[in-house]
Amino acid sequence: MKFNFIFLIILLFSITLYGRELGETEITTEDGIEVFQNEKFYLLKKNVKIESDDFSLNANEVKINFDKSLYDIIELAAKGEVDFVSHVFEIKGKSKILNLKVKTEQLKVEGIGSELITKDVKMLSDGFIEINNLNGDFNLNGPNSKLLNENILIVAESIDGIFTDFPDNKEIKFLEVYDKNLSYVKNKDTEMYAKKINFDNDNSIIELIDKVTIIRNEEKITGDYGTLDTTNNSYKIKSNNQGKVKVIIQNNE
Amino acid sequence: MIGTLLIISFIIFILYKQINLSNINFEYVKNELSDADISKPKFAINNETKKIYISAGEGNFLNKDEVLLKNNVKFKSSDFSIETDKVVFNRNKQTAQSKTKSLFKSKNAIIFSNGFDIQDNGNKIVFVGNSNIILK
Repeated sequence: MKFNFIFLIILLFSITLYGRELGETEITTEDGIEVFQNEKFYLLKKNVKIESDDFSLNANEVKINFDKSLYDIIELAAKGEVDFVSHVFEIKGKSKILNLKVKTEQLKVEGIGSELITKDVKMLSDGFIEINNLNGDFNLNGPNSKLLNENILIVAESIDGIFTDFPDNKEIKFLEVYDKNLSYVKNKDTEMYAKKINFDNDNSIIELIDKVTIIRNEEKITGDYGTLDTTNNSYKIKSNNQGKVKVIIQNNE
Repeated sequence: MIGTLLIISFIIFILYKQINLSNINFEYVKNELSDADISKPKFAINNETKKIYISAGEGNFLNKDEVLLKNNVKFKSSDFSIETDKVVFNRNKQTAQSKTKSLFKSKNAIIFSNGFDIQDNGNKIVFVGNSNIILK
């Protein structure tokens, strides 16, 4: 028992000597660090690993802008195979490029296969994904942009929106979706297509503009403009040209 | 029983490290015996915003401009310091290069590296090889 206690003391002492202490950030690189004192940034090169209590990151190359001294980080830009976890943002992600503005809490991932995952929402894009942690603004732009949670799936070229009380509560407060071909939204039992789709949580209305299609169960309705009330799940569709609204009811029996 | 074995392993590890340290000290003594052109040399790198003071235990002229600084080489400015064992300082170009283990310290930041290269009158410092930063 006594020996085990001594061993534990020795082990803890060894860890203190060689490991990162609580509250500290440890950065390791394989190909050095370039510090530019007048320009106030440093470059971390090859197989960069950043580890702190709140944040961890792996990337091939990282540029860090600082204010007073190296520790006073303003902005971090990483490239290569970037993957990271932020406990402050409650988010993890992967991308080719990452840009993190520390003071304004803005996070942007860029490149093919970019993804940001929170505990409730998954965002994917081959263009970029941007999130502002302070006001909950988010923006996905580029091919294969997708946002999904347990209630909704959105696929479009551009998805702009605001989360309520981000990062604690990630409900969507406002949404503007656009795709020059067709945007796609799936909500519970309803699939919606349109060039432009808007959602406002205050009135619980999903607005569909241009080349509208709503599919529910065996019903398929097309038109130029539509609304779906998410409180009672009812929808309306109209056309610029009277009589253009088309309803197809399929009987699968 | 396992605890005893682990303690014995730890003691062997410490003794091994001490033997290694003895070797390093031996090399250091050998270096001290070499002929030095300058004892306790002092230089400075000047740029528009700051001055970096350089000191060492001894120095040898490699050519008209370059001096090999050895033994406890220190670079010190108003906001950082670097310590290492050997540096080639170019008095004309105001550059310094080291390929020995180096320790950089500034406010709340420490960098360990396998050497460094001071360029552009001290504005750019390149830490080479496997490097490690601790930010507090």
